Amino acid sequence: MLIAKDLTKIFSNGVVALDQVSLTVQKGEFVFLVGPSGAGKSTFLNLVIRRDNPTSGLIAVNQQNIAFLKKKEIALLRRSIGVIFQDYKLLPQKTVYENVAFALEVIEARTRAIKERVYTVLELVGLLGKAHVLPSELSGGEQQRVCLARSLVNKPLLLLADEPTGNLDPDTSWEIMELLREINRRGTTIVMATHNREIVDQMRKRVIALDHGKLVRDTPKGGYHLEA
Amino acid sequence: MKPRTFGYFLREALHGLVRNRLMTITALGIITIGLFLFGIFLLLTANLRYFTTLAWKEVEVRVFLQPSVTDPATVGAQLATLPGVAKITFVPKAEGAATLERLFGQQGTLFLNDENPLPDAYTLSLAEKADPQEIAKLATAVPGVEEVICGQDFVEFLEMIIQLTLIVGLILLTLTALAVLYIVVNTIQLTVYARRKEVEIMKLVGATDSFVRWPFLLEGIILGLLGAGLAFLLLSKGYGFLVHRLRLYRRFLPLLSGGEFQTHLMVALFTMGLFFGGFGSHVSLKRYLKV
Repeated sequence: MLIAKDLTKIFSNGVVALDQVSLTVQKGEFVFLVGPSGAGKSTFLNLVIRRDNPTSGLIAVNQQNIAFLKKKEIALLRRSIGVIFQDYKLLPQKTVYENVAFALEVIEARTRAIKERVYTVLELVGLLGKAHVLPSELSGGEQQRVCLARSLVNKPLLLLADEPTGNLDPDTSWEIMELLREINRRGTTIVMATHNREIVDQMRKRVIALDHGKLVRDTPKGGYHLEA
Repeated sequence: MKPRTFGYFLREALHGLVRNRLMTITALGIITIGLFLFGIFLLLTANLRYFTTLAWKEVEVRVFLQPSVTDPATVGAQLATLPGVAKITFVPKAEGAATLERLFGQQGTLFLNDENPLPDAYTLSLAEKADPQEIAKLATAVPGVEEVICGQDFVEFLEMIIQLTLIVGLILLTLTALAVLYIVVNTIQLTVYARRKEVEIMKLVGATDSFVRWPFLLEGIILGLLGAGLAFLLLSKGYGFLVHRLRLYRRFLPLLSGGEFQTHLMVALFTMGLFFGGFGSHVSLKRYLKV
């Protein structure tokens, strides 16, 4: 599903964000990406959705090398990957329904298909009753569910989550994690960057640790720390 | 593009304009002011050209006959057939002397004594776009003609004024257009900057550049056309008022009027509005599409 080989990213100011990282994520896996701030977690995710170009190395999604894509191909790649963000990235003037439908509008889906699909994912994340509410009227957890619904509406095979519980209290964080676990159970591959030690330790999923841009650990069913 | 998608773009553009009211009003105001200034220069240039065209119509060719000519009408008939001559007026020598006296008083007729040495003459009025020098050359060749004066200096001066008006007008219009375009691009850039997050999200969920661009482009075009409409309204009302107020001085200060000119002004303003809005949005969005 996701392959990185000797993946390196050096920014124009000379900072080495990723240094020769090699890893493979199989279809259907749930992987935690852990490490201190500046370890390279977000950089890695940004390379997967092509917000950035790698300096060298190979990165492939679904057996397609995405290091060198044309603009149109980048748009197509992003449609096959769902992303959820720490700051939700919702459009404040659009309702919950419109925010989710937006991801289908851009691929010019039919109105009926949009309606069906949006209501299905809103039901999945438990927000069917708040479809016509603005994001500002929702709690942080609910906003993250909207973001999750938007990332799922295109039925992505790969879901990237960049600190999705970073702004949430522990209970709400667990609600989001339960949803992610359910989505993973249905077959979606998930790569989640997080600082949340408790979640990583309790979920017992594969853990890839980065430090100063280097892959320092890759443990199946691991914990946040090496000893765990 | 599917019609439904275009409908979506149009809806998004209209929502965008309504949602970002303050920026919409600011951009609309600046586009209107810019096009209004552009229109003023357009009116100025057109009126200068109109003024010089009117002055050209005043150009006459004076043909003096030989003293031996006994039948001036025969010469006049030949002069009337020259190409580019619209009208001929006979000026008998007595009238010539009277004109001298009218212009210079007694000094003008001092040299006349009892005898009037002035020849009979014809004044040739020119047809539109006729070349006075060419007519003067042809008139000289007519039998019975002694001398032809075509106001060479005045004609050359007028030609220079026309050329200068054209060049200065073009430069002013181009500079105004560039200045307005610069301001419009910057204003639209502010509106796009305010919505950069929206652009980023669109790109992250897989929107192509053209999908992101269209609603903004339509917004720019709508703003440009609205601005052009407002500027046209202000200009046509203001100019109409000015023409009405200055109607008493029309002889000294002739001003263009009439529906045809209004149509030209409208076409120019709407074309510029469309271009400013569309191009402004296109340029403004470019840097925010790099997500």
